[in-house]
Amino acid sequence: MSKVKRKHYYDYGLLFTIIFLTIFGLVMIYSASSYTAQLQYGDPGYYMKRQGLFALIGFAAMIVISLIDYHKLLNFAIPAYIVSIALMIITMFAGREINGKRRWLGVGSLSFQPTEVVKIAIIVFMAVFIVNLGKKINTVKGFATVIILTLIPTALVANNNLSSGIIVFLIPAAMAFTVTEKKFIIAYIALFLMILMVMIFKRPAGLFLANSGILKPYQASRVLVWLEPEAHPLDGGYQVLQGLYAIGSGGFWGKGLGQSIQKLGFVPEAQNDMIFSIICEELGFVGALLVIVMFGFLIYRLFVLANSAPDKYGAFLCIGVMAHVAIQVILNIAVVSNVIPNTGVTLPFISYGGTSVVFLMCEMGLALSVSKKIYMDY
Amino acid sequence: MTTSQNENPNKTHNRGLTRPMQIKLAITLLVILLALIALIVTLGRIQNDYSDEYNQKILSQQRYDSREIPARRGDITDRNGSFLATSTKVYNLIIDPSQINSKQEDYLEPTIALLNEVFGFDISELRNLIIEKSDSAYIRYAKQMTFDQKTEFETKKDERNEEFKKNGDTRRIYGIWFEDSYQRYYPNESAASHVIGFTFEDGLEGSGGIEQYYNDELTGTNGREYGYLNEDSTLERVIKPAQDGNTIVSTIDINIQNIVEKYLKQFQKEMGSKTAACIIMNPKNGEILAMANSHPFNLNDPRDISDYYTQEELEGFSDSQMNDAWNSVWRNFCVTDTFEPGSTSKVFTVAAALEEGKINGNEYYECVGYKEVGGWTIKCNVHSGHGWLNVTESLMQSCNVAMMKIVESLGKEKFVKFIHLCGFGQKTGIDLPGEPDTSLFVRDASEMYLSDLATNSFGQNYNCTMVQMAAAYCSIINGGSYYEPHIVSQILNSQGSVVQNIEPKLVRQTVSQNTSEFIKNALYETVAEGTGKAAQIPGYRIGGKTGTAEKFPRDKVNYVVSFIGCAPADDPQVLCYVVVDEPNTDDQAHSSYASNIFRAIMQEVLPYMSIFREGSDSEYPAYEPVYFGTEPVTASQQETVTEEPAETETAASGEEENENSNTPEVETRKVYNTEEYVEHSSGTDDGEDDMLPGVPAGIEAETVPELGL
Repeated sequence: MSKVKRKHYYDYGLLFTIIFLTIFGLVMIYSASSYTAQLQYGDPGYYMKRQGLFALIGFAAMIVISLIDYHKLLNFAIPAYIVSIALMIITMFAGREINGKRRWLGVGSLSFQPTEVVKIAIIVFMAVFIVNLGKKINTVKGFATVIILTLIPTALVANNNLSSGIIVFLIPAAMAFTVTEKKFIIAYIALFLMILMVMIFKRPAGLFLANSGILKPYQASRVLVWLEPEAHPLDGGYQVLQGLYAIGSGGFWGKGLGQSIQKLGFVPEAQNDMIFSIICEELGFVGALLVIVMFGFLIYRLFVLANSAPDKYGAFLCIGVMAHVAIQVILNIAVVSNVIPNTGVTLPFISYGGTSVVFLMCEMGLALSVSKKIYMDY
Repeated sequence: MTTSQNENPNKTHNRGLTRPMQIKLAITLLVILLALIALIVTLGRIQNDYSDEYNQKILSQQRYDSREIPARRGDITDRNGSFLATSTKVYNLIIDPSQINSKQEDYLEPTIALLNEVFGFDISELRNLIIEKSDSAYIRYAKQMTFDQKTEFETKKDERNEEFKKNGDTRRIYGIWFEDSYQRYYPNESAASHVIGFTFEDGLEGSGGIEQYYNDELTGTNGREYGYLNEDSTLERVIKPAQDGNTIVSTIDINIQNIVEKYLKQFQKEMGSKTAACIIMNPKNGEILAMANSHPFNLNDPRDISDYYTQEELEGFSDSQMNDAWNSVWRNFCVTDTFEPGSTSKVFTVAAALEEGKINGNEYYECVGYKEVGGWTIKCNVHSGHGWLNVTESLMQSCNVAMMKIVESLGKEKFVKFIHLCGFGQKTGIDLPGEPDTSLFVRDASEMYLSDLATNSFGQNYNCTMVQMAAAYCSIINGGSYYEPHIVSQILNSQGSVVQNIEPKLVRQTVSQNTSEFIKNALYETVAEGTGKAAQIPGYRIGGKTGTAEKFPRDKVNYVVSFIGCAPADDPQVLCYVVVDEPNTDDQAHSSYASNIFRAIMQEVLPYMSIFREGSDSEYPAYEPVYFGTEPVTASQQETVTEEPAETETAASGEEENENSNTPEVETRKVYNTEEYVEHSSGTDDGEDDMLPGVPAGIEAETVPELGL
C-alpha cells in the first residue's frame, strides 16, 4: 500500500531497563541478605539464588507473553478476574499463615501470594472493560459499574493486605482517569486533594484514623508509628527507625556496595520491603537517585507505549502496567523514608519475592507484546 | 464481552488514545514524576541532615565490634595453700531489647514470662524496660547468677522453643544471654578480715589488707573479643583471652589466725576492751603468721557491722556517720593505730645503753619510788620503790626509776638514734595499706626536754604501732637483724607457677649478739620470776615483757596494757604481741590482762608449730581453761589491789626481806612482783604529782604545762 517500509517495533529500551533492574535487584538482595542468610541457612547466596530462579522463570514467561498477540490474551480477561477473586476468597479461609499473616496460597512446597495475581488480573480485565464501555463510562451507571467492579477485589485484598488493596484500587482509577470526562474528574481532584491534605495535616489525620476504629489494631498502630517512630518501638517503630538510620548514614556517596551495617540484623529482613534503605546506605543519595531515575525511565517507556499503542486495548494495558509499577515504587520509597505509614509494599524487580517478580515480568510481557504491534515508519 | 479485533486500523474506536486521553495520561505521568521528585527531595534531606547523627546511632548500637572478657581476680592463700579469698564464676543476665523487639509480638511475652518463672523478675518492670530501652542491645539486668540458675533458664528456654516449633507456634524465647563474670568469695568469712581486705566494684578494686595492697597483682587484664566483617560480609571474631590475676600466697597461717581470733573474741566477751589486738611473727625473718584485732567483720558482707552497733544506731546514722562507723570497723589496728607502748619498750632503753657501752649489765640502781627530773617528780609504778635492782631485775620489775637512771647516762642523742635504729618514727614497710607516718610521734633529740627523755625511757610520750614494736622486738631477740615485717611470701601466676618469691628483707643490724642474749635472758627472767608471770606456760621457756601505758590525757583512767613475748626464750621461734586498749574495767592498769591472752594463745600455737614442751606432756598438768573475767587470774598474790595503795606495792609475801636487803651483793633468791601494775595515788592532793610530765610527741596540747629542762 504505502511505499514506506513498515517494521515491527519491539521496545528494547523497556526490555533492557527490566533486565538492568532485575540484575541490580539480585546484587542488592545478595548484599542485603548474605549476612542473615549465612546465619539462617548457612548459605550467603540463599535469597539471591531463589530470587534469581524466579527471575528466570518470570523472564521466560515475559518473553513468551511478549511474543503472543495480546488480543488473544484479552479473551481471558473475565476468567482471570473471576479466578483472582476466587483465589482471594480461598486464601481468606485456607491460606497459609506466614509471619502471622494469611497471605499465601499453595500446594506442597509451592506457594504464592494471590494478591499479585489480582493485580495483573485487574489490569487485563479493566483494560478490556473500560475500552468496551467506551463513552458510557461518563454516565453515572457506567462510572458506578467501574467503581463496583474495582471495589470487589479491592475489598477482598484490603481485608488481607491494606497496601495491596490500595494498589488494586488505584490501578483501575488511573486507567479510568484517562477516559473520564469533566463531571467525574471532580472525584479525582477530590481524591488527590484528600491525599494532599492528609500529607499536610498528617498528625491530626493520622490520630483520627488510628482512633476511629476503622483500621485493624495493627494498622492503627502502624499509623501511630509513622507519626512518632521513636515512641512506638514495639509496634514496628524499630524497623522504621532502623531504616531511617540506614538511609541517613549513607550520606551522599554511600558506604560502598556491601558495606552496610544495618543489614547485619538491624533492619529486619533487609532483602524485602526495606531493601531501598540498604541501597541508600550502601550507594548513598547518588545510588538512590539512579534507581529512581531507572524507574522513572521504565514508567516513561510505558507511557510512550500507551501513547503509541495501535489500539485502546493495548494502550490501556500499558497504562495499567505503568500505574502498577509507579504506585508500588512511590509507596515503597515513601514507606522507607517514613513519608507514609508502613504498609508492606515491595519495590518492583528489586525486593525479594518470587510471586511479585514472576507476575511483574508477566505484566512486562504484556507491555512488550503491545510494543510489538507498533509499526514504525521509516 | 469479547474483544472485537478489526484489521482495519482506521476505525476510530480501534485507534490508539485520543488527544484528550493522551493529555490526561500525560497528567498522570506528571503526577507520578512529581511524586518521585518529592521522594528524592525527602531522601536527600534525610541523607544530608542526619548523616552524622544516624551514623553515630548505628555505631552505638553495634554489639559485635568488641566485647570484654573479664579476667579472674587471683586467689589469696595462707602459707599452707588454703584459700583465704577466691573468685567463683558467676553470670550476668543480659537482656537484648533490640533482638526481642525485632519481632516483639512473638518474642516479648514468652521471654519475660520465662524470666519471671525462673528468676521471679517482675513482669511489668521487664516489659517497660524492654520497651523503653528498645534501642539498646545490652542491658545487664541481673548480676551474680549461679551456673545452676543459668542452666535452668537455658534448659527451659530450649524446651519451650522446641515445643513452640512443634506446634507451629511462631512465638519464641529470644534475646536473653549470659555473660561471664566473677564473684569474690571468702571461705573463712571474718577470719583475718583486716589482713585480707575485701573488694568492691565487681572485684576490680580492693579495699584494705592484701586485696588493696596487691590489687595490681590480683586484678589481671581483661581480654577482648573483637568482631569485624570480612569480604563475604560474615562476622569474623578475634579473641584476645583474658589474663587472669596472680595468686598471692600470704605468710598468714589460718590456723594460728583462728586461735588468736578465738581468744580475742573470748576476751572481748568476758572482759571487753576498746580494742584488743594481737600479732604473731616469726622473729627470724619478719613473716607475720597472724594479725588480728577484736572487731572482725564478714568479708563476704563487709557492710554488715551489726555486731558492733545496735540496729537503732545504724538506722540513725547519717551517711558520713555510717562511713565513719564502717571505717572504724574495717581499720586494721595492728598496722594503722598508734599508741604509747609503755614498759615493753624498756628493753630498748637497756639495749641502747648496752650497745653504747654505758652499762655492762652488772649495774645496780636504787628505786625509791620516784625520781626528780627537770623539776618534775616522776613516780615509779610502785610508789614505795623497788629498792636496789640490777639491770635484769629492773626489767623484771619494770622499774621506771632504773630506766630513767639508765637513759640519763645514755643521753638523749644516743637514745633517739637507737630508737630510730629500731624502726620507731618510720614506716616499717609492711605490705599492708594504712601504715601511718609516725615521724612526728618520736621526738628529735633537739626538741627533747629531760622529762621527755625520762618518760620515753619507759615508753611514754612517744607513739608507735604494733607492727613497729613487734618488728623491733624481733630484731632484739633474733641477734640483732631487723627484718622488714611482711605478710606475703609468694606471688604465683594463674597456672600456679612462681612469678616472684618475696624473700625476707634484712634492713639493718640493731644490736649485737651479746646484747641480744642479755635481753633474751632478762625477758625469760621476767616471765619466770617477774611481772610477766601470768604468761608462763608450764614446760616452755617463755620470754616476755609487760607494758602498762597511761593514755593521754593523764587522768589515770585509761591505759593500754600489753604483753610481748617469745618462745623458746633462748632461741625464739615465734613472737606474740598482745595489746589491750582500754580494758573494760574500772581498774585498767593491769598488764596481766594482756599476759593472760598471750598465755592462752601461745599454749595452743606452740604445739601447733611443733614447738614442744621439755620432757613429755604427762609431766605437766593439763591446761586449764582460760577465763578473762574482771579479776586477773594471778590476783591471788595481790588481793588488795586498789583499796590500800600503801601496801599494794609489796603485796607479795616475803616483801620485807626484799625491802631490807637493798644491798647489791645479796644473793638470796628474791621474790618479785608478778604483775606490772600502775598504782593510783589515793589522796586528791597529790594527784598532780602523779601526772606524767609532757605530752606524747606529735600531739598539740596547750593545757599541759611544759616544765624543766
